[in-house]
Amino acid sequence: MAPGAGRSRTELVLSGGVLALGGFALVTALRLPSAGGYSGIGPNAIPIAVAGGLTALGVWLLVEAMTGGWRVRVSDDAHERGEHAFHAGAFAWVTAGLLAQMALMHVAGFVLAAGVLFVCTARGFGIVRPVRDAAIGLLLGLAVFLFFVKFLSVGLPAGWLTPVLGGAGI
Amino acid sequence: MTETFDALLSGFAVALTPINLLWGLVGVTLGTAVGVLPGVGPALTVAMLLPLTVKLDPTGALIMFAGIYYGAMYGGSTTTILLNTPGESASIATALEGNKMAKRGRAGPALATAAIGSFVAGSISVVLLTLLAPIVVELALRFSPADYFALMVFAFVTVAAVLGSSTVRGLTTLFIGLLLGLVGIDETTGQMRFAFGVPELLDGIDVVVLAVGLFAVGEALYGAAYQSRVKEKLERLSGSLMMTRDDWRRSWPAWLRATAIGFPFGTIPAGGAEIPTFLSYAVEKKFSKHPEEFGHGAIEGVAGPEAANNASSTGVLVPLLTLGIPTSATAAILLAAFQNYGIQPGPLLFQTQASLVWGLIASLYIGNVLLLILNLPLIGLWVKVLAIPKPWLYGGILIFATLGAYSLHQSVVDLVTLYVFGLLGFAMRRWGFPVAPAVIGLILGPLAETQFRRALSISQGDPSVFFTHPISASLLVLTAGLIVVPWVIRMRRRRVAKLA
Repeated sequence: MAPGAGRSRTELVLSGGVLALGGFALVTALRLPSAGGYSGIGPNAIPIAVAGGLTALGVWLLVEAMTGGWRVRVSDDAHERGEHAFHAGAFAWVTAGLLAQMALMHVAGFVLAAGVLFVCTARGFGIVRPVRDAAIGLLLGLAVFLFFVKFLSVGLPAGWLTPVLGGAGI
Repeated sequence: MTETFDALLSGFAVALTPINLLWGLVGVTLGTAVGVLPGVGPALTVAMLLPLTVKLDPTGALIMFAGIYYGAMYGGSTTTILLNTPGESASIATALEGNKMAKRGRAGPALATAAIGSFVAGSISVVLLTLLAPIVVELALRFSPADYFALMVFAFVTVAAVLGSSTVRGLTTLFIGLLLGLVGIDETTGQMRFAFGVPELLDGIDVVVLAVGLFAVGEALYGAAYQSRVKEKLERLSGSLMMTRDDWRRSWPAWLRATAIGFPFGTIPAGGAEIPTFLSYAVEKKFSKHPEEFGHGAIEGVAGPEAANNASSTGVLVPLLTLGIPTSATAAILLAAFQNYGIQPGPLLFQTQASLVWGLIASLYIGNVLLLILNLPLIGLWVKVLAIPKPWLYGGILIFATLGAYSLHQSVVDLVTLYVFGLLGFAMRRWGFPVAPAVIGLILGPLAETQFRRALSISQGDPSVFFTHPISASLLVLTAGLIVVPWVIRMRRRRVAKLA
């Protein structure tokens, strides 16, 4: 039951994070007005209870982490979980795709942003054929765009493709 | 009884209109597809489609959502049997025997017993739902706000603390969900809470962003980081789908026993099909005349858990529709769909929205038939769906996920929030925090607060109201027992172990 040093550090950090979130919420909740009508409790009562509960859970997690580690833990050995070790590149590619989409959405439009997201995600999952993936991603993005804008009149930005797609988007 | 029958008949009149039949078909087809696809579940799919509620008529949309919920239970077995990667915890029991059968070239009968068993269990359970719902409604009409609050606390504790592997981690995600549910304007007083002056936060955290972030973005990040370089082996679907006479003889008692186990487990606010599926597996192993086959592909081990899974997912609809209490992540999102239309599920739903709710229940009867057709003769189609390369699958999932979040307010802010919840979902998955309690906390938390304050308003601020009402008092005692008893048992066991 002896925890590995690295493992225990992660648990301490995560437990500390929960505790910090709870504490921050508690401080915020305590500043809310307490005036209540007939019920005698104000809009601060439940926030204080929830924030207090989260703080207590943070303490509980911390105690577990410091006394032999969290109980019933997920294995740290990727092999044991039937997985491989953390692949930073893969994680970064998916993240890059999502960030690029946020940046491009209102500039290049939904379809192009979707294409970029698709290529980056496929790359993160191990495919390195950007041209083919871009074609699939753009087609999927276009199909979704047309369906949502034309049939469901959900507003999606057309961006750089406005000349082609017409005034369909925003 | 005749009243129920009449109501159901009028429900069929609603569900059988061409447009609603079409929505039902779209729902069960989509549901089967997302059940088959690893990495996409019904909770995520309904959440991604929630923004559409603005455009669609409530009956059609809810029939479609129910179809997705239902269809995913059928589709999930295909993946589990052929790929041996249970898409959800409720399929783990099926994976034990199902994949072994597939490896021995008996994938066909395994899929058949899963689909027919799901049909049998699903249909019996819908009948039970039809009969039980009016009785529960009758009972629930007498519930006071204090009783409702106690019931919700009971649901919180069972979902977060009793079902998962770790009580403290389940409660932590529940409380994070409850905290997120408090963000925005307090409905009773108009007070801003946890909004920090950010205009986007005034409306509160949308369940779409939380659920899609945790399920889709978190899952994609996790899959890329830990699973993208693992080779998976897809078992081939060869030979006949036909079950032999022996297969039938061994399957049907398992279906019935599993229905008897699954449905009650679904109805009590202790949702999640995990316990009944494992229970059914254990029962079948005990009753089987061929216990030696267990672990090597025993057909009862597929028939039972799959039927239990379906029965319990139908059972979950009882507290959802009659009490407004969701006991699984998908049920919580279905509740959000109702709320989007300004409809609050609960006993009054059966009076104010009778045609909607009975139409929905009738659509479940139809859905089960459609699903049997979709999942037996058309099984080859779904096997092809399963062959979509993962990189493309996740690319597509992320396009739809971001679309769902973006279309809420046409705002990039929602995409940023979505990614933050994605990181949270990644961490929760990696370090063993269950996701469902967060979603349930977000949806059910504000309702619980309303009932709590209403109860205290009625009692003029006297908190003893929660302990003087018999229903409320017994539920709270039961809840306390659920937490304390396992803890006491553990303590005693530890003491015994020390003495020994």
